[in-house]
Amino acid sequence: MIHYLTHRLIHSFLVLLVVSFASYGLIGLMPGDPIDLMFSANPEMTAADAERLRARYDLDRPILARYASWLAGALQGDFGYSRLYQQPVGDVLMPRLWATFQLLGISTLLALALAIPLGVWAAARHNRLTDYTINLVCFAGISVPPFWLALLLIAYIAVPVSWIPAGGMAESGENGLEHLRHMLLPVAALSLASIGSFTRFMRGAMLQSLGQDYMRTARAKGAHPLRQLFDHALQNALLPLITVIALSFGTLFSGALITETIFGWSGMGRMIYEAVMGNDFNLALVGLMVATAFTLAGSILADIAYAALDPRITLQDRGNGG
Amino acid sequence: MTHPTPLRRGQRIRGNFLRNRLAVLSLFILILLVLTALTGPHLLALLHLDGFETDLFNLKGPPGPGHPLGTDELGRDVLARLILGSQASLSVGLITALTAAILGSIIGICAGYFGGWLDSLLMRLTDGVIALPLLPLLIVLSALDFDKIGLGAFADGSGLMRLVMIISLVAWPTVARLVRAETLSLKQREFVVAARAQGATPFFIMRRHIFPNVQASIVIATTLSIGNIILLESVLSFLGLGIRPPTPSWGTMLTNAQDYIWDSPNLALWPGLAIFITVIAFNFLGDGLQDALDPKQHQQ
Amino acid sequence: MIRLIQTVILALIGVSSLISDAQAISKERLTIGISQYPSTLHPAFDSMLAKTYVVAMTRRPITAYDPDWKQVCLLCTSLPSLDQGTAVPELTQDGQEGLAVQYELLPDAVWGDGTPITTQDVLFSVEMGKDPASGVDNAEQYRRIDRVEIDGDKRFTLHLNKRTCDYQGLSGLTLLPRHIEKPIFDLGAAEYRQRTAYDTDSTNPGLWHGPYRIAKVTPGQSILLQRNPHWWGKSPYFDEIEIRAIENTAALTANLLAGDIDMIAGELGLSVDQALAFQERYGDDYQIIYKPSLVYEHIDLNLDNPILKDVRVRQALLYGIDRSLITERLFQGKQPVAQSNVNPLDIRYDPDIPHYAYDPDKAAGLLDQAGWVMGADGIRQKDGTALSLTLQTTAGNKSRELVQQVLQNQWKQIGIDIRIENEPPRVLFGDTISKRRYPAMAMYAWMSAPESVPRTTLHSQEIPQEDNAWAGQNYPGYASPEMDKIIDGLEFDCDEAKQEQLWTQMQQLYVTDLPVLPLYFRSDTYILPKTLSGLTPTGHQFPSPLWVEDWHLVP
Repeated sequence: MIHYLTHRLIHSFLVLLVVSFASYGLIGLMPGDPIDLMFSANPEMTAADAERLRARYDLDRPILARYASWLAGALQGDFGYSRLYQQPVGDVLMPRLWATFQLLGISTLLALALAIPLGVWAAARHNRLTDYTINLVCFAGISVPPFWLALLLIAYIAVPVSWIPAGGMAESGENGLEHLRHMLLPVAALSLASIGSFTRFMRGAMLQSLGQDYMRTARAKGAHPLRQLFDHALQNALLPLITVIALSFGTLFSGALITETIFGWSGMGRMIYEAVMGNDFNLALVGLMVATAFTLAGSILADIAYAALDPRITLQDRGNGG
Repeated sequence: MTHPTPLRRGQRIRGNFLRNRLAVLSLFILILLVLTALTGPHLLALLHLDGFETDLFNLKGPPGPGHPLGTDELGRDVLARLILGSQASLSVGLITALTAAILGSIIGICAGYFGGWLDSLLMRLTDGVIALPLLPLLIVLSALDFDKIGLGAFADGSGLMRLVMIISLVAWPTVARLVRAETLSLKQREFVVAARAQGATPFFIMRRHIFPNVQASIVIATTLSIGNIILLESVLSFLGLGIRPPTPSWGTMLTNAQDYIWDSPNLALWPGLAIFITVIAFNFLGDGLQDALDPKQHQQ
Repeated sequence: MIRLIQTVILALIGVSSLISDAQAISKERLTIGISQYPSTLHPAFDSMLAKTYVVAMTRRPITAYDPDWKQVCLLCTSLPSLDQGTAVPELTQDGQEGLAVQYELLPDAVWGDGTPITTQDVLFSVEMGKDPASGVDNAEQYRRIDRVEIDGDKRFTLHLNKRTCDYQGLSGLTLLPRHIEKPIFDLGAAEYRQRTAYDTDSTNPGLWHGPYRIAKVTPGQSILLQRNPHWWGKSPYFDEIEIRAIENTAALTANLLAGDIDMIAGELGLSVDQALAFQERYGDDYQIIYKPSLVYEHIDLNLDNPILKDVRVRQALLYGIDRSLITERLFQGKQPVAQSNVNPLDIRYDPDIPHYAYDPDKAAGLLDQAGWVMGADGIRQKDGTALSLTLQTTAGNKSRELVQQVLQNQWKQIGIDIRIENEPPRVLFGDTISKRRYPAMAMYAWMSAPESVPRTTLHSQEIPQEDNAWAGQNYPGYASPEMDKIIDGLEFDCDEAKQEQLWTQMQQLYVTDLPVLPLYFRSDTYILPKTLSGLTPTGHQFPSPLWVEDWHLVP
């Protein structure tokens, strides 16, 4: 167990290192540095201004040298300043990380709360009308273009119902209801797609475990159908679901960009997008790495949860990392 | 289990598939869509429609004779643009999914069959790509200057090939993992072991024994991924990084329509519906194929 | 399940109808939506529009252009003038022609904590700006100032090392509170930008001196302003103003309709086509104002392109497009056609310069003369080459992409094939245009001040090249000795009659040589509550909230 975890952690650290280097290189390949942009927007800047500012922001050195000094700092916990916000990267990142975390946490919980019963229900009524209906609704949820959905929610819910805000976040001092109110639509938009995929997954896992040997045994022993469903099948079906959720956390992270943009939610997706577009190396890089770290952590957690819940599995290096 | 008799298996699959009415309907819709996309320009000529001709005297016009679905914000025919848009959206979806499937299959079969250091290396790479936050990465990639990194050939004006390339780059790992896992188990099967004992080359075994048996999974995974890719195209358009004008795509049509939702909600309705129907059809088709092809489902 | 959802929705609608009336706009708070969040609040760094907008309510520049496009004093008693002896020509220490200009700060001007605004603040602000390590974007304003001479607390004289005709304005010199910022600056000029109280302690009242001061900042979201009790001018009507950033314009209008914001700023809000679409449906519920601005939409022509070298082709390009039809139909006439680079609202505009009205026959004639004959495929040809040009603009700017596609259509009619290759703004501005890599045509906008002399965009010394480190904004590569002479005259020959003549000559030459195709001047669109009064759109870079104390509600 300990050996396994150490192994995984070292592996994850190496992946992060490679990701940081690749991102740094890629952002560096994007044409036009921030000074070029400032320059073309302001007719009064001179070449001397540009040179001065380039030196000021450390943009006049080759990219490898800049990466090396960034890495040296990062390894000591100094992630540098965000060029866009003129604040230490951590100060910019933390509130946004928290904002995204709230949004994702609540929408994932909500999606689960709906998806598990729906999936079980659909599986129990396999190939009947209920199953078809649930399937149809789920596929619909997965297939809607996300920003279209968000705009529909605003136009048809936020505009007529003035109690529901069309965007923005509650301020930090306000009460829980206020926070909830602002979260309503973004959470709805985010969870709809997850409900679809979680339910589909749950249904599949249930069907599979309903077909297993021990279920036949349970049936043969004459256990109550509901008992069969909950005691045996559900437990076994929940396992793969945990993996899927843990793995999807990283994807959700960047996927929240659209929701965040339309609902004016200042979170990680938006921040990374702006940092990349605004050529804010430090911020973009740390943002990308945090998102990557979440995915990696998710996959490790999934493995641990798997081992904890299923006595048949012991943790070893499984070669393909979950 | 040895090789199932091809004929009986094929019949069973067809039977299973045909029983799934939604999947059959989806297949039908998709065939129609692909035909529409393929014959696009001829179809337009037949209908006397033009998707590029702007008409400043008929902006956001209502449906009527000459314009079955009305006109857009530049007075162009919406139906014609939907038809032309299906070319871009479907080609992005299909070409990308196919590229990712080929890339993923090769990597997956090699990793699974050869094992050892090659497997470790390829799977680490796969893990790394999966761990990457997808959307930000796509954003960085779409802003890259392809000329600078020697890929000027992909820089056509509409940005379609660029889109295909960058999405393929991040879409292959799903297939690769799936194929690797199946290859690993196939490798132990009698017929593979027997072939190896008879001195068949690895390439021969992969081509004759392994690939035909993982085909089904690849087809399912690829079909299911097409929908996601079409959605991704619309998201990238929303961020201003999709197909570039004047080439229409459903994603850009939808994005452009968002500013007119107050006075002309129809402009957003049509491309939105087109994307929705196509994506849902691909998902149903994939689901139907899974039911029909995946032996696990038949254990019940 | 479905019934449950229905019940919930009904309940929500029921609750909302009880609350919704409470959101009517009142004296207590005005909420303004803008489409960008300022990345810094420091007045001297990063000249982005969102910051200019917020800061206009919380501080005042020394001079500004007013809504009538006249230069006025906002923090000084009167503008320096050569006639009154408050501007005196002199020689600089190294013998160049310089100028000494005298200003006096308003006697009762104080910072938000009660500390008087004095010449000490001027001294510090210039010190900060001139320090190369501090990192102001635009050092030109400070480089011009050789030294500052102070006379008591309120009067100061700037010794400028250039004698240009626009000496009166001092908007680029932003006053900073010495008593707060000096100690921070002294800790190290290089780190000043990161340590400044404007970003680390934005709600410190001593940083501000406008009718409002910043009360609360929610990064990325909103900024809350409250009345500044130490403001010496007319007391503003609204107790609080909240400025909320919503980037997506469709969401911005939805927030307005939902009552979450009361108005959309004209300076940073909807484009004209978006506003028109909104007006179509909700025009009766709001007050919608369109104000033509100094934002000049145009197409730069790369004069190194062999096809575009021929002035007849350039003229044909302009004759071949129906700009008035475009503005009439796409923008319902709200954005005026540009005849040259000078806005018709500018006093320097000459209405008598030649206009290029839509004339496809004339365009065809010019192209024939230039040797481009119509080919069988509808595209003109000359010596086997097709008349094909690339037109680029910023990807994602919908108004431009709309106009671009209409232009492509219109040019096709006279046998010109247009290839569209748009790029994201950071690629287009950061590389393609600024290094003159665009093959033929690039469509974008310039923003300028009234009466601004087009030196950086038209003077031959301002062509970006490898050996001048790509400085200058003469992206077409336009080199005309005559234009150079006119521009020099405009800057240094300050006699009024002479100025008038030179401005006319400049516009004449511009439309004759056509290094640039003028398209139209963009309009700002203000979407305001019907009861709001006193907001006067300006149309230039000094935004309307510089006069926020005049805003009020009428019943």
